[in-house]
Amino acid sequence: MAIVDEIRELLASALADIAAAADTAALDAVRVAVVGKSGTLTGYLRSMGQVPADERAEVGKAVNAAREEVEAALEARKAVLASAELEAQIASDALDITLPGRAQQVGTRHLISRITDEIAEIFLGLGYTVASGTEVETDYYNFEALNTPADHPARGLQDTFYVVDRSGDVSAVRGESDVLLRTQTSGVQAHVMETQEPPIYIIAPGKVYRRDVADPSHLPQFNQVEGLVVDKGITFGDLKGTLEYFVRQMFGEDRRTRLRPHFFPFTEPSAEADISCGICGGVGCRFCKGTGWVEVLGCGMVDPNVFAYADIDPEVYSGFAFGMGVERIACLKYNVPDLRMLLEGDMRFLRQF
Amino acid sequence: MKVSLKWLNEYVDVPADTKALCDKLDLTGTGVEGVEVGGAGFSGVYTGQIVEKTAHPDSDHLWVTQVDVGDQNVDESGNPVPLQIVCGAQNFEAGDKVAVALVGAVLPGGFEIKKSKLRGQVSNGMNCSARELGLGDDHDGIMILDPGTPLGVDFAQYVGLSDRVLDLEITPNRPDCLSIEGMARELGAMYRIPVKDVCEGVELIEAGNPTADSVSVEIADSELCPRFTARVIRGVEVGPSPDWLAERVTASGARSINNVVDITNYVLYLLGQPLHAYDFDKVAGADGKAHIVVRAAREGEVLATLDGQERNLTPDMTLIATPESAIGLAGVMGGLDTEVSDQTTTILLEAATFSPGHTSRTSRNLGLFSEASMRSERQVDMQPIDRNIDFAAALIAQLCGGTVDVGLVDVWPVREQPMALQLRVARCAGMLGADIPQAEIEDILVRLGCDVKDAGDGVLDVVPPSFRPDLEREIDLYEEVLRLFGMENVPSTLPGGRERIGRRSWNEQVVARLHGTLRASGLSETQTYAFASPDDLANLRMDAVAEGEAVELINPLNAEQSVMRQSLIPNLLRSGAYNQNHGVGNIALYELGDVFHSAEGRKQPWEWAKLAGVLAGATDASWNLPSRAYDYVDGKGVVENIAGELGLTKLRFKALEANEAPFLQPGRGAQVLSGGAIVGWVGEVYPLAVAAFDAAPPVVAFELDVKALAKAASATRETSEISPYPAVSMDVAFVVDESVTHEKLMQTMQSAGGSLLASVQLFDVYRDQERLGEGKKSMAYALEYRAADHTLSGEEAEKAHSRLVKKVCGATKAEVRA
Repeated sequence: MAIVDEIRELLASALADIAAAADTAALDAVRVAVVGKSGTLTGYLRSMGQVPADERAEVGKAVNAAREEVEAALEARKAVLASAELEAQIASDALDITLPGRAQQVGTRHLISRITDEIAEIFLGLGYTVASGTEVETDYYNFEALNTPADHPARGLQDTFYVVDRSGDVSAVRGESDVLLRTQTSGVQAHVMETQEPPIYIIAPGKVYRRDVADPSHLPQFNQVEGLVVDKGITFGDLKGTLEYFVRQMFGEDRRTRLRPHFFPFTEPSAEADISCGICGGVGCRFCKGTGWVEVLGCGMVDPNVFAYADIDPEVYSGFAFGMGVERIACLKYNVPDLRMLLEGDMRFLRQF
Repeated sequence: MKVSLKWLNEYVDVPADTKALCDKLDLTGTGVEGVEVGGAGFSGVYTGQIVEKTAHPDSDHLWVTQVDVGDQNVDESGNPVPLQIVCGAQNFEAGDKVAVALVGAVLPGGFEIKKSKLRGQVSNGMNCSARELGLGDDHDGIMILDPGTPLGVDFAQYVGLSDRVLDLEITPNRPDCLSIEGMARELGAMYRIPVKDVCEGVELIEAGNPTADSVSVEIADSELCPRFTARVIRGVEVGPSPDWLAERVTASGARSINNVVDITNYVLYLLGQPLHAYDFDKVAGADGKAHIVVRAAREGEVLATLDGQERNLTPDMTLIATPESAIGLAGVMGGLDTEVSDQTTTILLEAATFSPGHTSRTSRNLGLFSEASMRSERQVDMQPIDRNIDFAAALIAQLCGGTVDVGLVDVWPVREQPMALQLRVARCAGMLGADIPQAEIEDILVRLGCDVKDAGDGVLDVVPPSFRPDLEREIDLYEEVLRLFGMENVPSTLPGGRERIGRRSWNEQVVARLHGTLRASGLSETQTYAFASPDDLANLRMDAVAEGEAVELINPLNAEQSVMRQSLIPNLLRSGAYNQNHGVGNIALYELGDVFHSAEGRKQPWEWAKLAGVLAGATDASWNLPSRAYDYVDGKGVVENIAGELGLTKLRFKALEANEAPFLQPGRGAQVLSGGAIVGWVGEVYPLAVAAFDAAPPVVAFELDVKALAKAASATRETSEISPYPAVSMDVAFVVDESVTHEKLMQTMQSAGGSLLASVQLFDVYRDQERLGEGKKSMAYALEYRAADHTLSGEEAEKAHSRLVKKVCGATKAEVRA
């Protein structure tokens, strides 16, 4: 049989094998057998030297043609098989994608910290810096420098925890002391004004203490955020605008703010700020005791006496201060049913936030 | 303070819409804390008219009536529809106006009106008799009202029975509002309406001897008592109060006691003037005259007050006394021995004003607060005291019989001149941020009782009334202007300062990163009390190694919360126990908060922030991940995450011996150091210490010093180059004695590996007594060798590796496990 015929037969049988290959592995076996290093078709190329010279050109052409054809067929068949195999693979890899994700234990932020962060972000955006103070404070900073001298009636309004004074000093009132657990973050105001020149734009978040027995709506330890601005030309309108901006950011664009005149020893004029009730939208309900408003913070213009303690000239500078209870906001915004949950450390509660 | 609107209405026209009144009060600075409806013993009774009267078909004495109750019963389009009511009375005709109890009404005795059927006829209420409403004994028939009575009006309100009592929050700066007179003035200013003289209609008639013949008053120190007045009323009959007096005193929150005491309370509530009535005969000396001295108490002096308590006095307190004995605690409470009784016939009446500061301290020192002390510590207006005592004396004479001695004993050593203030109109408007015209400012101040004169140049001379001790400075006037101008009328603006940048301090940045890292490490933040029990540290076995002494509270809520915490761990353990008791199996909590300690001679304690956490139980099991119990290395992993995030350099965990950290389980606790400085500890809490807080061990914990962390944290980092050349990986397992630590092996490998050793990773710790021998462990490491400047050949790697292995074996007596 002429070599050319052998090649033709070989080609036919190779093409048949290729077509019959059931998977890429079988196809690869065919490739190795035919066009591999020692494959049958490769054999012809290798033994080209033994082919009579006059046939060489024809045989060479036939071998190359067959090889091209085989390789094309291999390629085509490979594409078909690979695609089928990929599809099979994909089909068998399919998961129930509703299965739970692999557990990654991520912790949570405490609700009070979360709210404090929110407040701080709002005021950082308004150009305020965060200040802080100690929780055990002296009478001077907690009361006196805030225009609340020892016999001021406002003293009786806040049940103060007093700390044993180990310096030997004795207080004018039995059972009281020059050292106490701060009842308000307002003391930070006095410290900041003493150490910093205006303009001052600060907020001061922190723990405060009042001698209330813990119940669903009271805690002896809670958190406040104090704000203080001292600059030239600060007006009551600035205070009002600042608080309105804060309320919209914190509670939503649709919430309204109203200020009610009030009394604080360290501000004059003083006010309490209410926001429109989130439950009834301001028409009055049980939650807001029918008023349509809920109290959210206290505020006012810095009293000139407070400036005097800090050697700031009230004829040159004016300012405002405000203080809000973080737990109060937790109740208003997150509906916490019992404040004591905030201090229990119950993982089931903490992981809700 | 409780204010009866019915009473207030005697002096000023109180708006009928109570809700609107309350809003207005709120917006002008008098907080309304509640509204009580009272006065009538019934509710739900309205005026009506009998429009039809027919005999009951099945009764010989009942009538079926159709009663028009105006707006109280309407059809869908709002037109009044008469109600059918079956009635047994015989004294009425169609067309009569009557009092109708509607369905839902409650009559005296709690009797509720329900819809009913009387012998087959529907009855939607009741036509009432006077007795049924508790208004008299007349039960012969129903009440027939005046033909001019409007229909559908609340009957109690119509006949003036109903009252609304406001519970007002009077701020400490407004002593003037602690009286009906003051609130009448406040309403007058708020609504620009006239206010009547509250003392009108009571005339003082004096008779007999001069008061001064029976009473002398000496004020030892005018600072303690700026003004003291006295009167004597003779021939008084102590007995029950008339209804109107009892009603007003009760509405204000007091109990009706007898006519004399009720009058003193009445004047207190009406005028804000604390009064005290003494039994003259118990006060008078042997000469028949009462010699009153107002003086500081002496150390050790004792007075039994009206409430029956023995009070130990100090020189800071002011006494009303006779030469023989103390008879009253000035501004706070009278003495028990001289109180008015049923036998009293002659009364010594006192009206005075005392030092607010001394009164406030006296109350707080004794824990004794009264209606009088509340007003005294806020300052009683000394100007009208003569009017007040005259009014009270006249009322006593009028209601209790008797005569008032002639003349007032009035000791008033220092008369203060009214304060004159200046108000700069432009500055006021400027600070408030509202364009308030001068005329409006003047108008507001005048309405408030100030004397206002235009001093020119935009300045007003203002003299506040004596009842406003809070108006001492220009700024105080601004507040008044703003209050009545209306805060709602001030335009909202934002401060326009130039040099303003909001930024976080380094400490805050560190704290924020700590929180983030702990959450990423799976711990949830909590807050616990900063209070602690004095036993906490001993129970935690930390007392011997704690710094300083506990900070003690003078007035703690309870013994378990009587000191400030020195460690965050005790309360975190309590939270752990709480979770364990509630079936929570995966406890991973942390807290960042202050701890405290003190020392003798120190005023303010040391206070600084710590970061602590507890891990107890096991991780949550999942369908593809088994649960894993927490142990020491979980805690250590958290600390390592923190170190990584903060870039702590030269982090080291040093084993803590039992005596260094008795609160930790030996062999499972370490001190954490960075660059040689201690930043805290991590370990498994000693099992007995855990149990002392009712928690179940094991509990892994750590406590780190936030300031030390902030100090050790790196503000900057340097990028190390990533080699483009491939690494050669080699594994080796060393069999070593138990005493050889991972740290030791690492140090040896790192120094032996030289620059070619790119990384070392522990991947297995294996113990097997039979195969490895007793007291031995196998530590398996994956090492990577890499050259910075070329592709490492296999030979180079082999050479470096065998040198490393040899050095480790030499330094630690390790054997390489085949």
